[in-house]
Amino acid sequence: MATKSKTNSEGPGTSAGAESARQSSDPFEMWRQLYETNERAWTQALEGAMGRPEFGESSGKMLETMLAAQKAVRDNMRTYLETINVPTREDIARVGELIVGIEEKIDQLADRLDDIEEAVRRPSPKRAK
Amino acid sequence: MTSGQSAPWLDPEALWASNDRALEMARAVLGSADAPVGLTPKELIWRKNKARLYRYVRSEPATQRTPVFLVLPLINRAYILDLRPGASFVEFLLGEGFDVFLIDWGTPGDEDRALDITTLITRYLPRAAKAIRRASGVEQMTVLGYCIGGALAACFVALYPKIARNLVLFTAPIDFSDAGQFGALTARGVFPVDSLTDTFPIVPGQVPDIGSKLLNPVASYLGTYARLSEKLGDPGFDVAGWQAMYRWVNESVPFAGAAFRQWIVEFYQENRLARGVLEMDGRPVRLADIHCPVLNVAATKDQIAPRPTTSVITNLVGSADASEAIIEGGHVGIVVGRKAKADLWPTVGSWLNAHD
Repeated sequence: MATKSKTNSEGPGTSAGAESARQSSDPFEMWRQLYETNERAWTQALEGAMGRPEFGESSGKMLETMLAAQKAVRDNMRTYLETINVPTREDIARVGELIVGIEEKIDQLADRLDDIEEAVRRPSPKRAK
Repeated sequence: MTSGQSAPWLDPEALWASNDRALEMARAVLGSADAPVGLTPKELIWRKNKARLYRYVRSEPATQRTPVFLVLPLINRAYILDLRPGASFVEFLLGEGFDVFLIDWGTPGDEDRALDITTLITRYLPRAAKAIRRASGVEQMTVLGYCIGGALAACFVALYPKIARNLVLFTAPIDFSDAGQFGALTARGVFPVDSLTDTFPIVPGQVPDIGSKLLNPVASYLGTYARLSEKLGDPGFDVAGWQAMYRWVNESVPFAGAAFRQWIVEFYQENRLARGVLEMDGRPVRLADIHCPVLNVAATKDQIAPRPTTSVITNLVGSADASEAIIEGGHVGIVVGRKAKADLWPTVGSWLNAHD
């Protein structure tokens, strides 16, 4: 690890002051100190901003705009694939849906068989003579 | 001019050390995608569509009578409760003598656009429970749900009360009348849920992931790396452990469109479960129909499932034995953090022992 190997390369005479001075000029250390000093203030500022109803509304509108753009791309791609007679994602998904549906029907049949098996195993009430 | 006074870009020694640190950080972050997780041996005992039910392999027969059925959130990978050796709730339960089963919801594809929560609760969970009964030879089980999985587990036990001997919930949001920042972001008229599910039949995993991270953006997007930079200087720092946690937090799973829509509209916006007006397959889902012992575990610093969302369950269920354990920590930390071993696991273990 960087810091460890750095420490090992230094001689025993290295003072704590020099180490601290080196650390203070390490960009990573400076970034970390900047974060630690300001973390609470940044969090409070963001929490304040995000707690306002306007934030939710604007982020919702932003998402809606991005979705409209994404939908346009998807629609255009679908039209293009249909034009060149290539199956679209929807076409392939539809085949998958059919398989999932068949699996569900098989499960339902298995459930019925289980019910029948259980009913057969259950001792029948003795008929009154 | 000493190195302490020079600007960092003029100090080659500092730049060299910084470069080393940057490489170490990049290696830790990029390597997290392949961090070994979910290593406890397990066998597949049932499957349906993308869902898989696993039974964890025991070297000796279970000493506890009641099997434990783990129901996971739809937005996480299945390894979250079996992160890595020594940091695995599954491993802890096996050590306590339980027969442990887990449902992995898998990754939905476009063909699962219509897969909703109702289907998962009424078509998947009952069949998985039947497979558990067959495999274990025991009629009733402890149903344990985490986060969204907890809400699903509560609905499941409410609809099929005979299946459960116990219900355990970990940070499970139930009452959304005061759902904090998440509630505000997903409010009706604010969050375009219809446009989202129309555009994406499968909602990308990044959507709930970004939502969770926005709850504390400074810590999520900067703090994680600031802490990593600091810890990499510590020779005792467990990089593999950090990578496993990083993988958990960042490896999101897409949400089937219908399930996402139902979660946002019926649970968050309309709060149907807590209000007692939720219906699944034409049947009312009433928490009052839960009569088995209930343990509700909540986290004090949980921003994803804040305290108001988790606190009502013990009052809403019909159980005579409904207790709560409040654990100091956050949504993820209480389950796998260092404190999990000291707080959550022993609490749950002794409760399960007492209710076996």
